[in-house]
Parts: sequence; C-alpha cells; structure tokens
Amino acid sequence: MNQRFLFLPRLGCRLACAGLVFGVLAGCATLGQPERAVLRAREQVSPALVHIRPVKEVFQTGKRTEMLAVGSGFIISPDGYVVTNEHVAGDSTSVQCVLSDNRELDAQVVGADPDTDIAVLKLQGDAPFPYVKWGRSDTVQAGQVALAFGSPHGLSRSVSMGIISMTDRNLDDEGASPAPYNNFIQTDAAINPGNSGGPLVNIRGEVIGVNARMLRGAENVGFAIPADIARAVVEAIIRDGRVRRSYFGFELQEMTARSIDPGKRGVLIAGVDRFSPAAEVDIRPGDVLTAVNGIPVNARWREDLPAVRRLMAELPVGEPARLTIERNGEQRDVDVVPEEKTAARGKQEAFEAWGLSVAEVTQEVARRAQLPRPAGVLVIGVSPGAPAGWAGLQPGDIILTMDGETVVDFAVFRKLYDQRIQENRRQIMLFVQRGALTRFVLINLEQAPAEQEEARGHE
Amino acid sequence: MNNQSRLSRKAYGCLGLLAILFAAPRVASAEAFPAPVIRQAYNQWARALCLVTFSQELTDPRSGESRRREGTALGLLVRSDGLVITHGHLQTDTSRITDARIRLESDGKTDELPAVVLGKPDDLNLLFLQAQAPEKKTFPAVSFADVPLQLGDPVLVLGRMSETVDYVPGVVLDHIAAVVDTPRTAYCLAGGLKMGFLSGPVLNIRGEVVGVTGIELSEEEGGGLYSRSGVPMVFQTALLAPYIASPPRSGAGEPKVSGEEAWLGVFTQPLKPEFAAYWGLPEAGGLIVSTVVPDSPAAQAGIQPGDIIKSFDGKPQRATQDREVLNFSRLVRDTGPGKTVRIELLRNGQPLTLEVTLTTRPQSAQDAEEYEENVLGLTVRELTRDIRIALNIAEDVQGVIVRRVASGSPAQAAKMRPGVIIMAVGDYTVTNLEEYRQAIEKLRETRPAEVPLFARVGSATGFFRVRPRW
Repeated sequence: MNQRFLFLPRLGCRLACAGLVFGVLAGCATLGQPERAVLRAREQVSPALVHIRPVKEVFQTGKRTEMLAVGSGFIISPDGYVVTNEHVAGDSTSVQCVLSDNRELDAQVVGADPDTDIAVLKLQGDAPFPYVKWGRSDTVQAGQVALAFGSPHGLSRSVSMGIISMTDRNLDDEGASPAPYNNFIQTDAAINPGNSGGPLVNIRGEVIGVNARMLRGAENVGFAIPADIARAVVEAIIRDGRVRRSYFGFELQEMTARSIDPGKRGVLIAGVDRFSPAAEVDIRPGDVLTAVNGIPVNARWREDLPAVRRLMAELPVGEPARLTIERNGEQRDVDVVPEEKTAARGKQEAFEAWGLSVAEVTQEVARRAQLPRPAGVLVIGVSPGAPAGWAGLQPGDIILTMDGETVVDFAVFRKLYDQRIQENRRQIMLFVQRGALTRFVLINLEQAPAEQEEARGHE
Repeated sequence: MNNQSRLSRKAYGCLGLLAILFAAPRVASAEAFPAPVIRQAYNQWARALCLVTFSQELTDPRSGESRRREGTALGLLVRSDGLVITHGHLQTDTSRITDARIRLESDGKTDELPAVVLGKPDDLNLLFLQAQAPEKKTFPAVSFADVPLQLGDPVLVLGRMSETVDYVPGVVLDHIAAVVDTPRTAYCLAGGLKMGFLSGPVLNIRGEVVGVTGIELSEEEGGGLYSRSGVPMVFQTALLAPYIASPPRSGAGEPKVSGEEAWLGVFTQPLKPEFAAYWGLPEAGGLIVSTVVPDSPAAQAGIQPGDIIKSFDGKPQRATQDREVLNFSRLVRDTGPGKTVRIELLRNGQPLTLEVTLTTRPQSAQDAEEYEENVLGLTVRELTRDIRIALNIAEDVQGVIVRRVASGSPAQAAKMRPGVIIMAVGDYTVTNLEEYRQAIEKLRETRPAEVPLFARVGSATGFFRVRPRW
C-alpha cells in the first residue's frame, strides 16, 4: 500500500498520509476527506488551546527579577484546568492566559513536576471552558498522522501537521534536562520554541502528547511527552499539588551497557548514593535488580528504563519493598524502605542587602557537589557591585557556616540573615565550599571595594 | 552535544554584567617609549628570539579525535646553555608536540638544532625546551630584571612577525591595563597579542626585561587555579626566575624524579586587615588555613581550617595580600621533605604551636605517567592529587583518568571521553596505572568480544560496554 505514495508529489504526501490513516479508521477513503478530518480535529482542539505568558521569578543575578516567557497549553476540563510544561509555567509568580476567543484570563499554578516537565494551571474565570479529550499514547504508532498546536515563536493558535516519527525516543542522557520517567514521542510536525506545553493530537482530535522539546539545528525533529504519562502526572498534581515518588538511592542502567548477552535479565545498578536506603542494605553498583515485590523487571535497552523507574517511584513511600538482587550469579532478596524523593531543585530566594541569591541544597545538589549529605545553601547569584560579589563569593559556592554557626539548611540561613539585618551587623564571615576546596569569605558592608575601585579609576 | 532545547522563550540576560565589573580601569599610558630605547632593546635582545618548529598532535576533547599538524612558534632563549621558553598551549591535555627544533640566526647564518621538550611548571603556562647543540655552544639569551610593574606602565614586547614576512623580529608597544591580585599578582596587557609575540620578552621604559608575555589555559584546557584564559598577560620575572634556574623536568613520558619538594597539605588565604578586625586580632598578616588536604602532614598534625599560621619553621608569616600566599607555598616547597618544622598558629585567637613533619609533594597531573593502549583506544593517567582537587573527586574514588580517546577507536564508539575515571575493566578492579596495564594485558590474552568498564563521569557512576577489534 505504501508504494502508492512513492509516486505522489511531495506536497501532497502528508495530506494523502492523513487520508490513509483516516480512511483506515473510518472505513472509507474518498478525496477531500483527509482535509475534512484535519479540519474536524482542529475544530475539536482549537477552542481549548491556551496561549500562556508566565512571569517567572529569576534569582540568578543575586536579586529577585521577573522574566516574561511564552508558551502553550490546553484546557482539559470544563472547570478550567490547563496542562502545560513545567519549563513554561514553573517558578512563575503569575500566569496570564489568552484563550482562543481572545479572552485574557489569569491562572494559578496548581503544581509543577520538573521530572516530567508537566505543570497544571487553573484558569480564573467563568466556567465552563471548552476542553480537549485525552487520547492514549500506548497505541500510538510511528507513521500515524499528528497535529501540533500552540504558539511557535509566540504566534498563537498555530497548527502544524506531520506524522509520528518514532514512539519511544529516550532522551535521558542528552543534555542538561534529564527525563528519567518517560520516553518521548518524536514527530516531524513542525515544533518551534513557544510550542512548549501545546498538545500533540491524533487525527481524531485526541491529545496523544504534550509538546516539550526540539532538536536544535535539526529540522522537524520535535518531541512530546506521551499522554499516558502526562495524564497520570496531571491527575496527581490536581489531587495532591505534586507528584510523590519513592527514592531508593540507586541509578539504573540498561543491561546492554554491560553485556549484549540476551540471556542476562534484569536491570543494571549503575550507582548507589551514599547513606541512601539502597546503600543501607548493601546494594552496590554492578548488582542487577531482577524483581520488585516478586514481579520480574527488565531493561535490556535504554528505552526500557523509564518504565522501571516509574514502577520503583510509584511504590509507597515508607513501606518496605522486596527487591531481588543478583550479584555474581547469586540472588538474594532484600527489604528496602524507600524515602520520599525530594525535588532536584529547591527553594530559591534573594538576600538583597548582601546582593546574594541562594538555593536550597537538595539531595541532587549535594550529590553533584560530592557532599555526603545536604548541608548549607547553594549560591546561585551574586549582584554585580554588591558586598557578596566584592567579598569574592561565586555562584556554585556552598555556604557552610555563617559567623561560625553551622548553616544547617535554607531555613537556618534565612534566620541567621534576618538576625544580622535586624542587628545591623556590618561584617559577616562565611565559610564556603568551592569544588573540592573550602575558603573564608568576609562580607563587609562598611567599605565596598567597589567604591575604592571607583576612586582609583577617577584619580 | 547539548543541542536540545526546551521550547519556551527565555531571556538570558544579566550574566554578562559580572564581566563588566572585572574590566580594567581605563588608564592611558602616561609616558611613551622613546625611539632610541626601542631600537636599543631590539638590537640587544632580538638575537634571543628563535623559532620553534614542531609537529603537534591535537585531540578534540569531545570526540577524542586526533589530528596532526606542523607548526612554528616563537621561542625565547632564556639561558646561554640553550634553555628556551615558548607558549604553553603547545603542550596541554589535548595537545602534544614532538620533533621540536630550534631555529636561530647568528652572524648571518641559520642554525637548526633538535630540542628536548622539558615540560611546563604547574603554575605558569610556558613550555620549556632544551636545545641540543652538537658541541658546547653559547646561546644568546635574555637576562631578566626583577623589577615590579605598575598599572599604566608602558611596555615593549619583542616577538616575530608572521610567516608572510619571514618571521622577522618586530616590536609591539603596549601598556599594563590592569593588575589582578588573586590568586596571585598578574599583569594584563591592553592589546591583543599576535601569536608571534607570545612568550616574547617584555621590557619596561628603562629597557629592562621584566617578564614575558603569555596566556593562561582555560579550565577546559586543563588550567588550574591561575586560569585567566584569553587575556594576554605579563608573567613577571619573579614568577619565571625559579624555573629558569631549575627548569621543569617532566614531559617526554619520563616521570619527574620526585623527592626534592616538600609538602604540608594546606590551602591558605592571607590574613587581610578586615579579617583580622573581624576576628578581633591585634594585627593583620598571616595565613588563614582554608582547606586541609585529607591524609596530608597538616591533617596528621591536627591543623584545622580557620587556624592562622603566624610562623613556619621559625620564619614569621605576615601575608596580607593574595599574592603573598605564593611566597608561603614556595617556602614550604623549599623546606625539604622529611624535615620536622614548628608551626606557630592562632586558633580561636589563642596561640598554639604544632610540630609537623613535611612529606614529599605528591605528583602533579603534569608529571603523572601516562599509558596508551590500542585495545580500547585510550590514553589514561594516574589520578594525582591535583586532579582530585581540580575535579572534586573524593579520596575513596580509586582509578585512572582518561586523557585521550583515539579517533575511531572502540572506546570512542562506546562514547567514552576524556575526564572519565575508569574504576574497573571487566572483572579487574583498577586503582592505578599498573593495574590498568595488567587488565589490558589480560584482555589481550583472553580476547573477549566485549568489555564492560565501570567508570565515574562527574558525580555519577555507570558502565561503558566496549567492543575491542581483535
């Protein structure tokens, strides 16, 4: 059947393709119908489309600044829940939404999940709203027609069409934005910056994915979060405001990272965090996880990993799970009590009197900084020309003590800061970790070297 | 690599602002060089400018691909026995030079001599070479004057022009555009330096050679604490002189003979007046211990971060500026390994005397031995202490570090890259170069179809499956 299309002119190819799929589904294929199918899908989705303009809080410069972003989203319920990407609406103070009828409404961020890049908003306005239907992503096949809706480069209410290029693209170790819990649906429907958070839709007008990424420098290589995964996260956010996940403290790798031998079953343990539940029961890198609560698990290829990670993450926090671990051909069962997984990115705040913004040291930050446990606060921004900068503090530094007092965590840092502001203390001694080294940093509010430098320059 | 982007439009502003702060104060040079001084300098020192020709192997740090090229650089004769310095970028983690030769003109004829690559000091991005004369020969060398430089000083740089004008010697006028205090005193030049003027002698207005030009390595290139990459600088005489007297002896695969430099195992900061005031100390001057290296003599003696060293081996320490910290480092190095010294310090304001037995300074990355194999296609090095510190690798991590990945090799196909720390090859645990060598030998005997390597990349561990081609 595909041979027919080899001879079709290029431009007609996509429409014909749509025709084929629609034809097969609807059981009839006459000319003009493909276009009608696309129009029908568009009519179903367009009214629920949202152009999103969040105002994001940014602390990278040592003070709190606001930044306008642009993205897309779609309404999923008559009472006005909107789905978008975490990287669009996360960390935002207010979100302005423009609906397809040009109504401008404010929305509140219900919750955001950086691990899957999903956020949920609630529109503030008169219900009912038009909404889209979720489709299923597990039945999606490569070659099937797909429509992408959204605001590419801020151009709202745009639709583009293509096909599904691949159904389970693993992007976990590409770049700085890991996606541990999902593969992506890859499409050649044009996706551009600004399409983020918009729906990827099948020819029946059902949402099969949430557009999230593109390959820069490539053409028509876009990626959407599969609807099944997005939907579960959205439901958790609406129910609890967040996604609760279990943390065992090991990192998984596909079996083929060690051997191509198809006889080897299970999931390879690549690394184990110090002091984690997994470390407590002596799980080591190189061990193989073969079963969870008696259910065999397998990840021969990289694409198989997200499903195993989800299975582990969905086990109840605080309740022992029985893991079957294989080492040197011998199996043993261990009971592990997972902790609750903490957010990779923690609280952020600016402490403007010192020209400094800091973030919480989460498990993830501590792991990257090679700290045995979370401690102190992470410097994420230093204002130009402010005391913290002149003292030599740098983004990436971890503040361990203040005037000899241990900065246990973010709350302690804030308390110590507030005390010093109240007492109008002019000199503050910090002890910071910078890479493998530590050093003393004196914040001196009395004589900013900035002034000295100015004087020298103007003599 | 990182060509994936998320789709929201974000404004990345503001980060550039920091850079503006460090921009140099605008100071025009007050005096100009009189033409006779320029000509005098040229006549006196142009003879010491030679050409270094070499074959260079460059490795792309990402792909591990290597390519070879022939090159020419300026060399400066700094000792009459044929000691030459040239710019340090020729010898880095990703670049190696071989077949170095020195070309110099004397009395109208051109001499070309083979040269031995000696190596680079840890703290100075200059490469030292030794010209090999068939019989005893006296080379025309510059002599340096240890004269301080100041902001705004006009300086004269000698070098060689480009190939199109036959590398003839030339002069460039510049001035000290900025003085940087941390982590040691450094002088920035205002202009962009042409290649032929890198490692060229820098003269002050009195015609004294006060240093040479150079550019530090960036951190990506393997630069360490002193990295101020991209800025043309003057390496002043005080920094150079010790290495001219005793050139680095690493390189060419020969591990340095250790045993002459002593080690305490602390990182320090100067006790500036405001620090002294904060801690309520009567006077500034001294060295605040900021980091104590685990298992070092300092750690064993019980020295703690926050201790202030007031006296070392009977020599009072009065550092109040960052550059003076280097003097302390040098003092420790020169004290002699094995010697027990008295260290007087202040702990919480109270005097305390400790005795510390210095050990030998641990091998540095530049001196570390390398092992290149063709089974996986990797060149690996010992994990030296300075690499541990630079990459923040905990003491309990044992292994070897990948320095190069051969182009087209099985290791490259397995996506291995420089910086990866190999901790096991197949079933063999690897904690040092010798064990890696043995593991590779075992592979040669057993010829497995695939070899899993257990490795560390940044803070994560995992496996690489490599398929050797037998």
